[in-house]
Amino acid sequence: MAAGATYTPIATTTLGSSASSITFSSIPQTYTDLVLITEGIGASGGSYDVDMIVRLNSDTGSNYSFTYFYGNGSSTVSSRSSNSTNAIVGGVNDSGRSMSICHFNNYSNTNTYKTFIARINRPTIVAAFVNLWRSTSAISTIYLYPDSSKSFAAGFTFTLYGIAAA
Amino acid sequence: MAVKRFSDDSSIKNTYRLSRGAASAAIPNTPTIGVATTVNDSSATVAYTAAILGATASSFTATSTPGSLTGTGSSPITVSGLTASTSYTFTVRATNSNGSSSESSASNSITTLAPSGSFESIATVTVGSGGSSTITFSSIPSTYKHLQVRGISRSNRSASFANVANFQFNSDTTKANYWSYHALGADGSTVSAFSAAEQNTAGVWGALSLSNNGLANTFAVFVTDILDYQNTNKYKVTRCLQGLDDNGGGWGDIKIVSGLWKSTSAISSITIVDNTTNNFMQYSSFALYGIKG
Repeated sequence: MAAGATYTPIATTTLGSSASSITFSSIPQTYTDLVLITEGIGASGGSYDVDMIVRLNSDTGSNYSFTYFYGNGSSTVSSRSSNSTNAIVGGVNDSGRSMSICHFNNYSNTNTYKTFIARINRPTIVAAFVNLWRSTSAISTIYLYPDSSKSFAAGFTFTLYGIAAA
Repeated sequence: MAVKRFSDDSSIKNTYRLSRGAASAAIPNTPTIGVATTVNDSSATVAYTAAILGATASSFTATSTPGSLTGTGSSPITVSGLTASTSYTFTVRATNSNGSSSESSASNSITTLAPSGSFESIATVTVGSGGSSTITFSSIPSTYKHLQVRGISRSNRSASFANVANFQFNSDTTKANYWSYHALGADGSTVSAFSAAEQNTAGVWGALSLSNNGLANTFAVFVTDILDYQNTNKYKVTRCLQGLDDNGGGWGDIKIVSGLWKSTSAISSITIVDNTTNNFMQYSSFALYGIKG
């Protein structure tokens, strides 16, 4: 069996000032999977705890769906959404730090729709999301922003890794 | 015939003095480049031959192109700090107290090795057009601490719920050896915690397979860790994050699962089977990685 080192950092963005969105563009197609790790706090703006939204390849159509569950320390919730205009890969809270790790497996396969799965920790919940983007296009751009027109605070970090299979 | 003694001939003395004076102010001649050789992902060695004639050199310096990284010493000189998977040539210069020679001609080109890391790809199986009932990774190297299987999967089973796929280790098909799993999962309306002592087919839950009834082109995704797989003093535990969604066609499913193989044997092979003995469909893909400890 061949073996080769992988889990390669593709790009890292650490915000120097608050921002309403960040974009990973021109993502290389030389890997098998992508892993996105985010960590940080929301810009102050009035006690909020919102989802981190993702759009792929600038697709704003109703081509996303997702299923999730979370626990908040006392109860559990599951829900889902169909024909959405975006998906969810993280959280943003303006009073505490949030982190997430999202796996985009086989992101460049042009024969399959893209399913991606995220583990999310926010100050208020722990959650898991599975998302579907109904497109056979290879993922070349990842656009991230907080829901409800909120902003990422300075210091929010976004790292994109590539994993190449043998 | 009288023979002049060296010490008597002032012209010879002067010449000698001039020669010594010139030599003391001279820089070394340029060394001759030798063979450059890759050492690892960040260093290389560069051989050279010092010039026979001319002033004596006190040191030799090898310089990379690109990067202008340098190393000093005697042949072969080691140049460190190179970038992995990058091509380089090198030149060498000689130096003494009066200065440095010109650079030698460029060496042969070398390419540094790919970066070493703690997460390495071992093997991948992608299902072809005919489908496949099993996926097997055999002869798994024993050089890692943990294993991870990542991928996407879809089965040809006609059913109104998601399939699961099981991991069998070392060709062990005894159901009782895969005694239990525990899972926390949700379908978009209800969160459930559940467990089972035994599966339809031997193995621990490791992946999710979307039924053929699901939306076309839609696959489940999974990331499964197999921890401490070489340890012969304890049973083997697996953990998996898996999920699928097909835009509301009855398929939304996300799970966190742990599994147990009641064996102290080191894992040397993994066979992935559909729990209900159906086939994985084309484009299902399973990639095995090793994580160093």
